[in-house]
Amino acid sequence: MSSIVKNLVQKMHPHASLGRFGDLYTDTTEFMRIDHGDVIHVGGLHYLVLRNEKESSFGVEDPKYWVKRCRELETGERKILKLVFYEKFPITLGSVEVVAYRSPRKEARILDLVRGDCRFMQGFSVDDSAGNNVRILSVVRGKRLAEVVDAIDVDHRTYFFDFFPGMLEKFVVACEAIRFLHAHGENHGDIRLDHLFMEYSTGNYVWIDFDYTYDFHENPFGVDLFGLGNMLLFLVGKRFYTPQNLAQWIDDQHIGGLVYDDFSLLFKSRLVNIAKMYPYIPKELTMVLMHFSLGAQIFYTHVDDFLADLNRCIKVLRIS
Amino acid sequence: MDRKKILIAVDSSENSKRAVSYVGDLLGDTPDILITLLYIERPPDRDTYADDTAWKAAAHAKEKNIQIFLDEARGMLEHKGVAEERIAEKYVVSCKSGIHEPSEDCSVGISIAEEILRVQKEGGFGTIVIGRRGVSRTEEFLYGSVSTSVMHKARVGTIWVVE
Repeated sequence: MSSIVKNLVQKMHPHASLGRFGDLYTDTTEFMRIDHGDVIHVGGLHYLVLRNEKESSFGVEDPKYWVKRCRELETGERKILKLVFYEKFPITLGSVEVVAYRSPRKEARILDLVRGDCRFMQGFSVDDSAGNNVRILSVVRGKRLAEVVDAIDVDHRTYFFDFFPGMLEKFVVACEAIRFLHAHGENHGDIRLDHLFMEYSTGNYVWIDFDYTYDFHENPFGVDLFGLGNMLLFLVGKRFYTPQNLAQWIDDQHIGGLVYDDFSLLFKSRLVNIAKMYPYIPKELTMVLMHFSLGAQIFYTHVDDFLADLNRCIKVLRIS
Repeated sequence: MDRKKILIAVDSSENSKRAVSYVGDLLGDTPDILITLLYIERPPDRDTYADDTAWKAAAHAKEKNIQIFLDEARGMLEHKGVAEERIAEKYVVSCKSGIHEPSEDCSVGISIAEEILRVQKEGGFGTIVIGRRGVSRTEEFLYGSVSTSVMHKARVGTIWVVE
C-alpha cells in the first residue's frame, strides 16, 4: 500500500517532505489508524494527512484524532478533514452540567447553509466508501480573537476607547451571523473565544466548529446566548476578572464595593459589573452585561434582543 | 374561554404526575368540568443519534413512556372521581417526528410553551395546569422553563403551576 501512496504523493505533490509514506484510505471508520503520511481518498480527491489536530487547554495539548490536518494533493491547498466521531459527554457551563453531543450531520448541514457566507468557516461534506460523513474544511487563515485582544499591549482605558469600539462593531456582525443560524433553526453549539477567528486578510470575524448540539426544547438557543455574553464580557474587560486576579488591576478600595449580584450567573467568581472598576464603561453596555449576572432580573432569550442592545451601545460609544 | 375546560400540559415526568394528581384532588367531584391531557411530542433530536435506526428506537421508547403516562394519568383522574367521558387526550405531533406523520398543525419544536398556548386558544380552555420542575435560575437561563414561559406569554385564562 505504501508504494501507491508514494507514487501518488511524488506525482501530485513532489516537494512534500514526509516522514513516511503510509496507506490509502477510502473508509475512515477507523480514524485512529489514519496518521501522518496516509492519504484519504474521498469525493474524487486525495488528501495527504499531515497531522492530527490538537486542542490546547491549560497548556496541555489534547490530540483530536478525528480531525486531520491535510493537503489536498490535486490543488496543493491545506484542508482540515473532520471524520465521523459520535460522542456524548457532559460539559460544565459555569456551575451547570450539560450533556453535549458531537454531530457530524449537524455540522454538514450548517456548512451547506452558510456556503459563501464569509462570517463562517467554509467547507462541504462527502461520504466515504463506508458512508461516513467526511467534512472537508478550508483553513481559516487568522488568529483567535482572544489572542488578538491579548496582543493589544495597552492599559484598559486606551484599549476601551481606541480598540474596543471597532471590535464591538465586528462582534455585532458575528452575532448577526448567529442570529442567521437561529432563524434557520440551527445553533452554533460551542460559542467560545477559541471559536471566533479574526481573518488576517480582511480583519473579519469568522466562526468555526459547528458540530456540538444539545437536546434542549424550551430554550434551544440558550447555550449560544450564554457563549455570546461570555465573549462580550471578555471583549469589554480585555480579560476576565475574578477575585483572585482583581488586585492586579484595581485598588483594594474598589474591590470592597463589589456585591454578589456583580458576578456572573454561570461563573460565580467572574466579575460582570466591570464598570465598578472602570467607570468610563457606559451604563448601556453595563446593562447588557448585567443580563448575564447573578443580579439579572430578566434573561436574553433571543439574539435579536441582545443585538438591539449592542447596537445602542455602539451609538453611545461613537458619541463618547 | 371556558374556565371549566381544564388543559393539563404533561410530559412523562413526576412534575406532570403531581399536576394531574392536584387537579384530580381539587376537581374530582366537580360534575361539569372537562379535562384534557395535552402532550406536545418532543422527539429525541435526530442530530444526537448516529443513524435513523437508533433515533427511531429512542423515539419509540419515548412514545411508549408517554402512552403509559397518559393511561396512568387518566386512571388517576378517574380514581379521584372524574367521569371517564369528561377526560380527553390531545397529542400534538412534532413536525420532526420520526414515528408519526406530521400534520398541518404539527409542533415546530421551538417553544413548547407557545404550542400549549396555541392549543389553549384553539380549544377555548380557560385554565392551563402545568407541573414545574423547580430549576435554578442558572438552569432556567440555559435550558429555559416551560412553566415560566407559559406564565410570561399567556394573555388570557388562568394558569396553575403545580410544584
